[in-house]
Amino acid sequence: MGPHIVSSFDDDLIAVQARISEMGGIAEEMLSGALEAVKNRDAQMAQEVIARDKRLDAIEMEVENLATRVIALRQPMAGDLRLLISALKMASTLERVGDLSKNIARRAVYLANARPVRLSSSIVRMGNQTLGQLTEVLDAFTSRDTALAVSVWKRDVEVDEMYNSIFREVVTYMMEDPRTIGLGSQLLFVAKNLERIGDHSTHLAETIYYIVEGTPLGDDRPKGEPLGLEGY
Amino acid sequence: MTNMRMTEQDLQDRETKIASRGVDVFYGATHAIKDVDIDILNNTVTAFIGPSGCGKSTFLRCLNRMNDTIDSCRVTGQILLDGDDIYHSSVDPVTLRARVGMVFQKPNPFPKSIFDNIAYGPRIHGLVNNKAELDEVVEKSLRRAAIWNEVKDRLDQPGTGLSGGQQQRLCIARAIATAPEVLLMDEPCSALDPIATAQIEELIDELRQDFAVVIVTHSMQQAARVSQKTAFFHLGVIAEHGDTNQIFTNPVDKRTQDYITGRFG
Ligand SMILES: Nc1ncnc2c1ncn2[C@@H]1O[C@H](COP(=O)(O)OP(=O)(O)O)[C@@H](O)[C@H]1O
Ligand SMILES: [Mg+2]
Repeated sequence: MGPHIVSSFDDDLIAVQARISEMGGIAEEMLSGALEAVKNRDAQMAQEVIARDKRLDAIEMEVENLATRVIALRQPMAGDLRLLISALKMASTLERVGDLSKNIARRAVYLANARPVRLSSSIVRMGNQTLGQLTEVLDAFTSRDTALAVSVWKRDVEVDEMYNSIFREVVTYMMEDPRTIGLGSQLLFVAKNLERIGDHSTHLAETIYYIVEGTPLGDDRPKGEPLGLEGY
Repeated sequence: MTNMRMTEQDLQDRETKIASRGVDVFYGATHAIKDVDIDILNNTVTAFIGPSGCGKSTFLRCLNRMNDTIDSCRVTGQILLDGDDIYHSSVDPVTLRARVGMVFQKPNPFPKSIFDNIAYGPRIHGLVNNKAELDEVVEKSLRRAAIWNEVKDRLDQPGTGLSGGQQQRLCIARAIATAPEVLLMDEPCSALDPIATAQIEELIDELRQDFAVVIVTHSMQQAARVSQKTAFFHLGVIAEHGDTNQIFTNPVDKRTQDYITGRFG
């Protein structure tokens, strides 16, 4: 696509995308910091993550104001319209990712102050997988790489399956030893937040696909089995 | 985001009202329209968009043989109205124009009373038998054009005394008084203020219940608002034609993309 006849229109679109990328970077750092804090029982790190969330909220507002202004002033069409509408959605999705990461950080504070436990290695793996997918989907946005976006979209099923198995594992612990219930439920919240972040990455992948292709990605995505509570 | 227009209806079952097949138009040596094929659907608003001079008005004027009045103009190919060639020697252009009415960019009421502006067409085409019927057609047309309430108490006053937006609705009433099947509009709002424009757009949406409407417009937003089908003209050809929804959210042709997003082509 060539430049717009009105050059300040280009400046505005570049600014919107730069804000989204900045939000993506912050959300990614918050998630990775929260996971470190859980793994290393690092309450200090957790507090830093919690403090960063304000910045994410502020940029989300900026994106909303900027996109609304561009839509009102320029009446964008086609690819420009798709980008702006999608930017609004991505900003709100990334803000949610920030909230969920902040929530994980809060759990990390609890875990850091509680009796040390052998952390389920599967929760660390789930964290890495979730973080990897978020990173990839943000790269897909920067490079407009729909193949990468689709690959993230398809792999969300892995996160769902990890969640299901962690759920079973932790619930088993808690039933065996009721003293672990407090801790176990914190771990379950961490896993649930990771699972939700996985869903948001999927959503981001769909949005990126729409920006580039102009058509929805469809809904025949592989999905995990809904979590059954049978047997517990 | 697949449905931009909430009023989008399924266009599959609309029948073709006008079919253009291999139409070329020349002004002397100028080749203004090149091999245009398009189907204009009934009960549908079709918008023609594209840069100035790309041939939108020229092609629109082919649809009711308005080009006949330009000496240098030569039209080849076929334009079929309900399957019949409108350029056939047996077709009377005046009768044709009663079936395919036209509204122009600049409101052009006759220098006569509001009543006579509307009554003119039905009278010359012998569509009414007596004064009562004529009164009825005039009222119905003015109501249909959403201007009745504003003029009903001054039907004997000159049409030229109305505001621009009222004059344009008067011209629409005049065009529909002959019970046309197709309504052609060449930038009908470009001389109007935003309120008058909104009234005409509202009216266009109403009118498609009864007619096929074709509108040439410079405003992409207007095309997106009022039409269900859009054809993008570029240098005398139709570069892209499809559902308005698709043209404005996901155009296929690079030239369409550049034009509607305001980029250098
Ligand atoms: N009456 C005419 N005589 C000669 N050339 C004309 C006439 N009307 C239009 N043209 C030419 O035909 C081309 C298409 O014009 P037009 O149909 O008015 O375009 P548009 O409505 O898209 O702006 C232009 O090159 C224009 O100069
Ligand atoms: Mg024109």
